[in-house]
Amino acid sequence: MIEVSNLSKHYGTHLALDAVSFSAKQGEILGLLGPNGAGKTTTMRILTGYMPPSEGKAVVAGHDVSEESFEVRQNVGYLPERVPLYPDMTVEGYVTFWAKLRGVKKTKQAVLDALEKVDLIPRRKSLVRNLSKGLKQRLGLAQALVHDPKVLILDEPTIGIDPQQIIEIREQIRNLAQSHTVLFSTHILSEAEQICDRVVILQRGKLVAYGTPEALRKQLYPNDYLYVEIDAPQRDKQKVENMLNALTGVESVTHLAGGFTIRAKKDSDIRGKLVEKVLSAGYGLRELRPMAMTLEDIFLEIVGK
Amino acid sequence: MWTIFRREMAHYFTSPVSYLIAAAFYVLMGLYFNNDLTISISVRAADPASVPMFLSFVMVFFAPLLTMRLIAEENKEGTVELLLTAPVSDGSIVIGKFLSAWAFYSLLLMGTFIYPVILMSLGIFPDLGIALSAYIGIWLYGGAALAVGVGFSAITDSQVMAAFLSMSFLLLMWLGDLAGNIVASFDLANLIRKLSLQGHYSTSFAVGLFRAEDVAYFAGMIVVALFITIRLLESRRWR
Repeated sequence: MIEVSNLSKHYGTHLALDAVSFSAKQGEILGLLGPNGAGKTTTMRILTGYMPPSEGKAVVAGHDVSEESFEVRQNVGYLPERVPLYPDMTVEGYVTFWAKLRGVKKTKQAVLDALEKVDLIPRRKSLVRNLSKGLKQRLGLAQALVHDPKVLILDEPTIGIDPQQIIEIREQIRNLAQSHTVLFSTHILSEAEQICDRVVILQRGKLVAYGTPEALRKQLYPNDYLYVEIDAPQRDKQKVENMLNALTGVESVTHLAGGFTIRAKKDSDIRGKLVEKVLSAGYGLRELRPMAMTLEDIFLEIVGK
Repeated sequence: MWTIFRREMAHYFTSPVSYLIAAAFYVLMGLYFNNDLTISISVRAADPASVPMFLSFVMVFFAPLLTMRLIAEENKEGTVELLLTAPVSDGSIVIGKFLSAWAFYSLLLMGTFIYPVILMSLGIFPDLGIALSAYIGIWLYGGAALAVGVGFSAITDSQVMAAFLSMSFLLLMWLGDLAGNIVASFDLANLIRKLSLQGHYSTSFAVGLFRAEDVAYFAGMIVVALFITIRLLESRRWR
């Protein structure tokens, strides 16, 4: 549904996007991650037909953005980072305006459907200027999907709204993926991890990582990590550490807050053996849990390099 | 294009600013008409082109007020990004907006038809030929001034700046009429006058002279101004 190959964009002498390639299949949610200025918005603007790439090719819903910009625009719903609103219009009037501009037949029904999807039916007669920030965000989403586009491009859709509304928007994005391909940018990593099938990480215009959060985790962290807290006298600390080190599969043991972090070989589940060993040595086990590497860690690992 | 036109028309009719502009417009027109009527009692006959003639000056200030918002606000609110990613041409965005301003102005202008009617009701019969020519002229003149206003609205995201720039430009175009007084060369003065707004109104339409060159001048100005505006809008894509 989205095919991007070697996409570059120059702003004067500044290279904002440097030969980026990725793709998204139908019904997929692709997350675009990166710090500010990484090229996320530039990528999205190219994919929406707002501006042409300097080099490379981007195909959206089967149409080349440079050659068939009109067709691309017909098939894309776009929510820019700053939700573009006409404060003087009513909610329904605003969505109707965009529906008509995009040539939607049976406008009234399409508008009601879009408002229904974002739960704005009860507020459809309200003036846009009187909506809260979260509702404005939802209205922006309604505008983006009123013409039932194949691809939805959402630039930081959860920025600046309260946690309850963030959860609602995420839920709506997840529902939308059933009938649309969604590309959305964020710098909240846990969010990308919760929603996205795959993520693209950009840094200074370059693609630095691309894949499922799971694959990225495996690629960057080839080990399993465990955290363990053992109920043992302070004087036995070294003895316990040696004991843990001696377990097969363990690569290193380090102190962390009252317990130990164990780095073990991938998929060498040492938990059973560890419990057995600790108990047979006469100690108690306070806590034992795997330490999952979040996308946050992956992000910092890549971007920090 | 008509979707854009309808939205802008709806905005003119729901925005308090448009009503303030309309009120100021009619207060000025009414005062001027009243003054002309008073003069006609003792000094000279009532001039059927007096109100349109006055409008040719007033539009220097009113055209920017009517158009300053059109694109500058889209730039400011960020809606321009969405407009440019909608499947509509940049031309239809600009033309739709321009036509809405021209239509609103036409409605304002129609309101001033009351003045010839008042004259007639007082038993004064103005030369309707001159009145008609003056009105057609000022309608075209207004269109050209509004097209310039739309153009300046596209280059900034500040309505005040858009209004200031187009007022300055229109005032300069209006003052071109006076260039003959300060330029020594006759040919140069004539050329400057030919380029000025007044040069194509005060001595032609306003006195009942309907010339193709004046129509072409205003129509040409509308086309050129809109063409530049469309290019300005397009240029957002090049950046």
